[in-house]
Amino acid sequence: MNKKKIVLAEDNSTLSLLLKFRLEKEGYELLMAVDGKQAIELIEEHNPDLILTDIMMPYISGLEVISHVRNKLDLKVPIIVFSAAGQEEMVLKAFNLGANDFMGKPFSPNELVIRVKRLLN
Amino acid sequence: MDTSTINIILLIFHYLFFIYTVSVIISYIVLAFFSIVETLEYQKKNRFVNYKEILSSSISPSISIIAPAYNESLNIIENVRSLLSNHYANYDVIIVNDGSKDDSLEKLIKSYSLVKVDYLVNEQIPTKPLREGIFKSTNPAFEKLIVVDKENGGKSDALNMGLNLSESQYTACIDVDCLLLEDALQKMIKPFLELTEVQVIATGGVIRIANACTIKDGKLLDVDMPKSMLERAQILEYIRSFLLGRMAWSRLNGLLVISGAFGMFDKKIAIEIGGYDTNTVGEDMEIIVRMRRHMEEEKRKYKVAYIPDPLCWTEAPDNYKIFTSQRNRWTRGTIEVLRKHRKIALNPKYKSLGLVSFPFWFIFERMAPIIEVVGIIYFCVLMYLKALRWDYAFVFFISAYLFTVVFSLVAILSEEQTYHQYKKKGTGIKLIITSLIEPFIFHPFVLYAAIRGNFDYIFNKKKKWGVMTRKGLSKKEAV
Amino acid sequence: MNKFQYFLEYYNGEPLIIQLVWMVSCFLFLTVIILIIYLKFLRVRLRENEKITEKYTKDYELLLITYLYAETDENGVSLERQSVINELEKGIENTFKRKIIVATFLKLGNEITGEMAESIHHLYSQTKLKKYALSKLKNRNWYIIARGIRELTLFHVKDAHDQVVKHVNHSRREVRKEVQLYLVNLFHFEGLNFLDDLQTPLSEWDQIQLLEELQKMEDQQIPDISLWLKSTNKYVVIFALKLAEIYNQFGMKDVLIELISHKDKKVRLELIPVLSHLHVIEAKEIFKNNFNESSKDEQIEFFKLLENLIEPSDEPFIIEHIYNENFEVKYSALKLLKVLNTTKFENLELTPPESDFVKIVEFIKNY
Repeated sequence: MNKKKIVLAEDNSTLSLLLKFRLEKEGYELLMAVDGKQAIELIEEHNPDLILTDIMMPYISGLEVISHVRNKLDLKVPIIVFSAAGQEEMVLKAFNLGANDFMGKPFSPNELVIRVKRLLN
Repeated sequence: MDTSTINIILLIFHYLFFIYTVSVIISYIVLAFFSIVETLEYQKKNRFVNYKEILSSSISPSISIIAPAYNESLNIIENVRSLLSNHYANYDVIIVNDGSKDDSLEKLIKSYSLVKVDYLVNEQIPTKPLREGIFKSTNPAFEKLIVVDKENGGKSDALNMGLNLSESQYTACIDVDCLLLEDALQKMIKPFLELTEVQVIATGGVIRIANACTIKDGKLLDVDMPKSMLERAQILEYIRSFLLGRMAWSRLNGLLVISGAFGMFDKKIAIEIGGYDTNTVGEDMEIIVRMRRHMEEEKRKYKVAYIPDPLCWTEAPDNYKIFTSQRNRWTRGTIEVLRKHRKIALNPKYKSLGLVSFPFWFIFERMAPIIEVVGIIYFCVLMYLKALRWDYAFVFFISAYLFTVVFSLVAILSEEQTYHQYKKKGTGIKLIITSLIEPFIFHPFVLYAAIRGNFDYIFNKKKKWGVMTRKGLSKKEAV
Repeated sequence: MNKFQYFLEYYNGEPLIIQLVWMVSCFLFLTVIILIIYLKFLRVRLRENEKITEKYTKDYELLLITYLYAETDENGVSLERQSVINELEKGIENTFKRKIIVATFLKLGNEITGEMAESIHHLYSQTKLKKYALSKLKNRNWYIIARGIRELTLFHVKDAHDQVVKHVNHSRREVRKEVQLYLVNLFHFEGLNFLDDLQTPLSEWDQIQLLEELQKMEDQQIPDISLWLKSTNKYVVIFALKLAEIYNQFGMKDVLIELISHKDKKVRLELIPVLSHLHVIEAKEIFKNNFNESSKDEQIEFFKLLENLIEPSDEPFIIEHIYNENFEVKYSALKLLKVLNTTKFENLELTPPESDFVKIVEFIKNY
């Protein structure tokens, strides 16, 4: 069976490394981006099964990634956004743009895995 | 006049210049010293501050950003968007359209789905009347935004309108074309909340020059050095003035100016003193002097705080014409403010404000260009009288030049040790070269503009008024 | 050589002041050279540091994650983990690397919760990092003490309590704040005991931070705050008022009413919204009786309270103030009048036409 692909866009390198290891252990293939621009390139190239993206990122924000995926590429792929405290408005915007779920930072990696599995099964 | 009188006059001049020069040098050394002390202290204090709680806390005090706009149609949509994305829980943005003749208002209405609202204004400071009225957005995403359209009355008048409208405890007055970094409000509010025994009446921010920088969505992505010498010299000048000059004055609690491009005020006090003065082009300095004066007269303990972090970035003039007109205006502003408040000078009732800050500004800021010109004339007279000792002139000139360079280099050093914004390879050497040649190719223009300012102040009152109401807020004028 | 000698002769023949200026020039020239060289050196060093930091951060990130995902026995011990610890200990000896290790731990620790976050705290305590942080508490410099406490807070080192608490009355505000945050972060409401005998001010900034920390806690069972409301330290009283409001302390009614006559204006001002929030109707009469003696700010706050707790019996008092000289009081009074007695409001005489009074009435009518 082919591994399911996940694009992870997160500028905190330690966190993204942690999540990469965790999700790879669960049997997914991880494609890593450090900003929105890379994320969009990866999404266009690999057509992933799930997108995980931080809202606040340099160059292209998570919101723009969502908008690009939903409006330009017209993909239905599930998207989970990460947000820090005080970004409630951003989260609302993310949902309006078509995000499927969100995790407020700090979050538990185990909980993230559960949500990822739920969206991918 | 016989030769002996001429000789005596020359001798007096001789000593006056010498004393002035020595005192300038000493004052600069003292300022540099205090600024280094203050910088170290600031760094120790703030290395570990966690702003997270403040930004998301709903009990953190309310702030209004007031941004006057005059014919800013070109960039106003993006600028407003950037103002709306600051990281702070409890703030609103008041854009005061000061009688613009362009389509700023239409653009704002369209982009932010604005509708006219009924708004009760407590007119505590008299201002020019509303034109189209007050607008708010129907889109909840922009609920922070208030747009006011009023008749043209100049920058001060627009700011006063904003003060009347604001329902917040604190107001941040800024130029609409400035880029505020997203943590700007959190950092600027800190002094107000932190001090307990002393009341903070205002906080001043640093202005950095954004020419050649890459900016997106309120984020500074890349800092670079512009190509032209004029812009580079201004970068150096700003570093010098904000990291050495104002830092020291903040240590001495003697700041007389908060840059009009970015400052935060205790609204209650700003209104108590009647807001901005609409009769001066130096309104940013004037309001601080008047607030200080008010606090001294009421015998209240107060402080004007200063945040040296690079939080506000703006475009500096890139051609000599706009540059000289900007400096001309600053000069007139300074003269007007010092004249208006001359009562403070050397008045022991105003303590260090009257005895230190004010005289310093008069002697070393207000008079500097005049004394410099008199010096040049004196030099020419000596040449004419063939009384000039070229070797003396040479050595004096060299030492003055070297001192300027040392001062600039110390400023660069302090920038590198603290914020290190110019990270790119090669920018360091560019800054050093700028500090070496700036006295020859930049300073003459500064001097020229200042003299023009003095000239216009004395002989051209009409211009003073003309500039104010016609231009209101000129795009490229920031500090 | 000749030229130099010529210069020396010239120099010696000049007046003292010129000699001095020459010396100053030479000194400044040397300073310029030194500064330029130093700047160059500094920039190179900063750039290199950045590169090295990046490299080490990568290494330590990987070590940390290896530790977190290592297979362990029921006590959380394993060979793999031990080897990570050994590797880290080597780096910890070096100040530069230690800073990077701490930063890396925090970079992840701040973003995650649950088991993994606890594992990071555990790892911190197992290594010498904790020892280094504790040694900072004994430093002479206040900012190092403050940083040490901060680190202990971030890594939840509870057993440093006794050493940290020694600094609760430190002369520097920054240190006291870190102690307070340590106590509240790790011991929650129990940590607030320091308020019992706090002698120093508690700034607005500190109060906000403490309250935010408290609100993050799962356990929201607040202790008795009456002692703090009665504190002689006005900052403690103000802080307790905020607690009373946030945690709906209806039981504190009597203590709050006593505070109405507190001698400090700031306390009285902070009190009014709390009374309003907790519906302390009894307070109204006291305020009405003292209304004319109280400050403008208190009058405005009281009217805000009335907007929340209005009763028909307040009408005479309201009518007294619809012509109050203060804009906000007037506005509030007129709004309330419209609520209590619309007919009377509709029939107000609108003179003089340009006044604030008319402006406000018209505004409320259209509202």
